[in-house]
Amino acid sequence: MTDRAVPLEGVKVLELAEGVAGPFAGKMMGAMGADVIKVEPPGRGDAARAFPPFLDDAPHPETSGLFLYLNTNKRGVTLDLAHPSGRELARRLVGWADVIVESSAPGRLAEWGLGYEAIAPLNPGAILVSVTPFGQDGPYRDYQSSDLVALALGGLLYITGDPDREPLKLGGQPSEYFAGLAAFSAAMVALHHRDAGGEGQHVDVSVLEGIATAQMYAGLNYAYLHENRRRQNAFAPMFRAKDGHVGVMYRQPNWPTFCEMIGHPELVRDERFRDVAARRDHAGELNAIVAEWMASQPKEELYHRAQAARMPFGYICDARDLIESPQYGARGYFQEIDHPLAGRHLYPGMPIHWGHERWELHGAPLLGAHNAEVYGGLGVSGEELAVLRACGAI
Amino acid sequence: MTPRALAGLRVLDGTQVWAGPTCTKLLGDMGAEVIKVESARRLDVARGEVNPRSGAGIYPDGDPQERPWNRAGLYNDRNRNKRNICLDLTHPRGVDAFKRLAAKSDVVTESFRSGVMERFGLGYDDLRQVRDDIIMVSLSSQGATGPERAYGSFGATLEQTAGIASMTGYRGGDPTTSGTFFPDPVVAVFSVGCILAAVRQRDRTGRGTYLDLSQREVTTSIVGEMVMDYTMNGRRWEPIGNRHRVFAPQGVYPCAGDDMWIAITVRSDAEWAALARVMGRPELAEDPRLAGVLGRRAEHDRLDATIAEWTCQRDAYATMRELQAAGVAAGVATQGHQLFEDPQLVARGFWEEVDHPEAGRHPYLSRPFKLSKTPGGTYSYAPLLGEHTEVVLREVAGMSDEEIRELTELGVTSNDPTAFAPVED
Repeated sequence: MTDRAVPLEGVKVLELAEGVAGPFAGKMMGAMGADVIKVEPPGRGDAARAFPPFLDDAPHPETSGLFLYLNTNKRGVTLDLAHPSGRELARRLVGWADVIVESSAPGRLAEWGLGYEAIAPLNPGAILVSVTPFGQDGPYRDYQSSDLVALALGGLLYITGDPDREPLKLGGQPSEYFAGLAAFSAAMVALHHRDAGGEGQHVDVSVLEGIATAQMYAGLNYAYLHENRRRQNAFAPMFRAKDGHVGVMYRQPNWPTFCEMIGHPELVRDERFRDVAARRDHAGELNAIVAEWMASQPKEELYHRAQAARMPFGYICDARDLIESPQYGARGYFQEIDHPLAGRHLYPGMPIHWGHERWELHGAPLLGAHNAEVYGGLGVSGEELAVLRACGAI
Repeated sequence: MTPRALAGLRVLDGTQVWAGPTCTKLLGDMGAEVIKVESARRLDVARGEVNPRSGAGIYPDGDPQERPWNRAGLYNDRNRNKRNICLDLTHPRGVDAFKRLAAKSDVVTESFRSGVMERFGLGYDDLRQVRDDIIMVSLSSQGATGPERAYGSFGATLEQTAGIASMTGYRGGDPTTSGTFFPDPVVAVFSVGCILAAVRQRDRTGRGTYLDLSQREVTTSIVGEMVMDYTMNGRRWEPIGNRHRVFAPQGVYPCAGDDMWIAITVRSDAEWAALARVMGRPELAEDPRLAGVLGRRAEHDRLDATIAEWTCQRDAYATMRELQAAGVAAGVATQGHQLFEDPQLVARGFWEEVDHPEAGRHPYLSRPFKLSKTPGGTYSYAPLLGEHTEVVLREVAGMSDEEIRELTELGVTSNDPTAFAPVED
């Protein structure tokens, strides 16, 4: 039996965040062995609890796949930060924590007496990580956002999609997840600094700036070439295979191998396709040849054959392909996690192997599941808990 | 002086292309000392070709000049705050030099195809011989184990194999990929935290470790709900274009001007009423069929047409401000030059200008996080090829002038890529 990987053992994380980004940061720290206490508003809980997919499509606050995925390895308590009695408990939790992750609108925490200025005297070593759509200051500070709006303003939307159609959204909630990872890493930077003798500090993560970091090409093209990069055809053009889609990628040295593979070795001597520029000029003709051949080939077989010939093809994996991927299977990427109400399901696991140690993942907490345990640990008596519950603070 | 969060941390960086270098750039931004190891025999792909064909690559003003590898935008974007040393790792003396640097480093990073470092004699077990508590981080495409461990990829193909492309595309159309290599920066921002967690573990236990990161797995970790809908319900997602899986309407609508578009998301019935008001169409807000989200989803095509009709003659920025003032989430699909003028990015100092001796002065993107007491920053330009070979070998590896001269004579530290034929992948 190998040991459990716990690089963040002893780190105490208070998660006042909801949705995707902040909880994703908390999830990573929890997986790494930090003690993560997730605080949710009494009653409704984290907003993600109300979002699909639900188990068997039956909406229930404990069976949202989005919530279940984002909240593994956490203890859960309820607390109403808008309630003065709730804030008293929150201050005790703040005193306990090394890292506090929050995602409220800029200024809201300060209104509740829990802004960084209030936290620092209480706990000088505390690291407050705020994750918001646009950051804590600036003219867009109070703007409303969505994943689509963040992709738009961050410059990634404009360069994605067909040149002759409207810009296209990258699927899912990429801007939120990206900000979550940025929050996780920034918390680690701040923790390193503090543990090396520095102080705690306020970390300001902007979802917009995450995407502005990720787009890269649009900014660089303008800075270097004074031109706006436009939507263009995919980097690894995709073709329809017999049972799905395959992304084709090869470099000039692999061109003969590629011609061989598609059963047209004579193309090597075809002047229309002699180099990258020529192939781009005659892309239509070449694509027609490739498309005709590919239509009869199974996607995974093509992927493996091309990779064996050192051409980094891809194939479109939907969730079933991922679950059935031999590579993911061999690495044990998906992990079965049990949950008292949602049952046992496969979840994406930790995407990194940590020496010979193994990750241990636990299901997301039921709403308020650890109230007695956590608040008891802070010295709140059972009688006091009953009072706070009756007043709606927890 | 503002403290630097990662001062004193030394990273020996063997990564190339995008994800790895962006990770070590962020570490450098935060104050770590990063030594990037390259070889003139096989340049970092981001440095481009030694003799780029016309129109290839991203060079200042489109001009590669005499040493294109020092002017490549893709390289300069992600290698600031590093020193650069050239070592031929296929030569035993190059391997020896690498090990002497590793002995003085906290962290070694690499992004070769799985197994390449071992073939150089620089695998984790080799490096542990020179420094027992070394932290080694491999950022490979598929991880260091499994049947596909030696497979190659680029960000675009990772989007395909990791799942995100399967739900990206116009409605009813084929799946597609993003206009960037989205997995690369995702891997970069995640790996920063992993490395620092490993450093923390070492500081507390005295043990180093080997981190085996799979870029494909990291990318799948950002499509959690897509996977969960399959494992819980057996559902396989398809592209839904620019629509939202819950809210309606959501879309990207044309505006006045050259290829200008605005993204709008209506997240509640109240926001729908606000949008109708701003559009000057109060009757839409009063239409009971559209008052609820189910009705708006059913009528999404018609609503898209109505909104587009309203936006198409309007200025995108004015429309965004007007909608935001009414509490509706809206944002311009920002084009290259507009990124540098965006009031929010400018106000927060997102762009950092850097003078580069061979590429000139340009603004570069900074970081996806701001730390109040250790903000970090750009301390030095992306290094010229081999710019710091001698000083690093002397000061870090502790080599004598005599040893350094020998390496030069053997060609191990050459920084002239024109002297070598391109190496096959």
